[in-house]
Amino acid sequence: MIRVSGLEKSFGSNHVLKDVNLEIGKGEIVTMIGPSGAGKTTLLRSLNWLDAPDGGSVTIDGAYACARTADKKAIRELRGKTAMVFQHYNLFANRTALENVTESLRLVRKLSREEADRRGMELLERVGLADKRDVYPSFLSGGQQQRVGIARALAADPEVILFDEPTSALDPEWVGEVLAVMTEIAKEGMTMVVVSHEMRFVKNVSTRVIFLDDGRIIEDGTPEQIFYSPKHKRTKQFLKQADLGA
Amino acid sequence: MGKVFDAEFMISIVPTIASKLYITLWIAFASGFFALLIGFGVAMIRYFNVRVLSGISKAYISIIRGTPAMVQLLIAYYGIPIALRGLNESLGTELSVNGIPASVFAIIALSLNSGAFMSETIRGAMLAIDSGQLEACYSVNMTTWQALRRIILPQSFTNALPALGNSFISLLKETSLVFNISVIELMAQAKITASKSYRFFEAYIVVAAIYWICCFVLEQVLARIEIRVRKYERGVPQ
Repeated sequence: MIRVSGLEKSFGSNHVLKDVNLEIGKGEIVTMIGPSGAGKTTLLRSLNWLDAPDGGSVTIDGAYACARTADKKAIRELRGKTAMVFQHYNLFANRTALENVTESLRLVRKLSREEADRRGMELLERVGLADKRDVYPSFLSGGQQQRVGIARALAADPEVILFDEPTSALDPEWVGEVLAVMTEIAKEGMTMVVVSHEMRFVKNVSTRVIFLDDGRIIEDGTPEQIFYSPKHKRTKQFLKQADLGA
Repeated sequence: MGKVFDAEFMISIVPTIASKLYITLWIAFASGFFALLIGFGVAMIRYFNVRVLSGISKAYISIIRGTPAMVQLLIAYYGIPIALRGLNESLGTELSVNGIPASVFAIIALSLNSGAFMSETIRGAMLAIDSGQLEACYSVNMTTWQALRRIILPQSFTNALPALGNSFISLLKETSLVFNISVIELMAQAKITASKSYRFFEAYIVVAAIYWICCFVLEQVLARIEIRVRKYERGVPQ
């Protein structure tokens, strides 16, 4: 469903992605791991063109964007297939929890206020925050904000949700509730691409793990393969250093 | 010898001077409105770093900030008729300056002046908003315009409000310069009234009091607006 071909990206003289090729099928829960600076987040952000690649192309469920030719229309089509959950939540500060969710329903999917509110409440209930509907983000805990972030992503009705280190800015006490919501969504068959080193999630929920280093995909396999029998020296080294191996 | 300070006279001229308050307020509010439009426009050009326009905006801000408002008023007063004549000669149009009241020149000059300062305030307020919110808008497929209208600009406006209020109060006081281009507003009326009796001091005290009352009322109104628009920083609405 997702096809990434020959993706290239540089920030100035820093070559972040080097000819990245990747295919992801519907319903896969892919976790990307690797040392900092490996390009995980950039690759994730290329999928919805928040970081526009310098070369290569991305296809998601028929929407195609190519670095050379992508125009506004192609980018919007691509974004229409995706939604993102951010490390720092990035909730709309001037909108309540419910409005954060309904904003795209009203503006992008053009639902009426009643319909948007109904759907928005369903989604807030799903992440366990129906009682916070009228609360502004600055009065929610980190964990609650991130759950609203997930509800907002779900509201876009995406083919795939991109998670950019969704728990790494959270206090430990809030990590569990966010992972629980993510696990629920995974169970319902949503395709997910996750940048995370959260082992509980990687080992219990992920169907596939990709190890990136220095802008390239070094190893790609099931969690068991990657964690218990990594093939590459670099993967072994990383797992050992990061204390992630078996 | 007359009195050192003629309080009776001072009170007697209040209605005459105050009768021109509406001109002062009209120039201030019209200029404030256009300044806000210019300010938002220029701020957005610079926020998105629009080619060419961004350079022009920078030059505009630099020139306005680097020249006195008084000089700008005079340049507008003498320059616009010259520009119109040039336009008429080169295009064969027959635009006449005579029909344009001097207050329009004042509004043009003051809008451009205040707009430059407001644009910097607004741009600063936009930059203060974490770009993550703009990315979040894009991530749920909102357009740039939707993101600006619904998320970025309302928050920028809230952040900019105290400084914009100051700009507007400055603007209100700067309208006192426009008597120089033959607009009869508060200040000009005070001079006219005073010159009949040579009691300038009393007249200027009246003018000062009227400006101060206007600014005081304005401050109260701005404070109310600020409380209203900052509700999202207080948690639950209402």
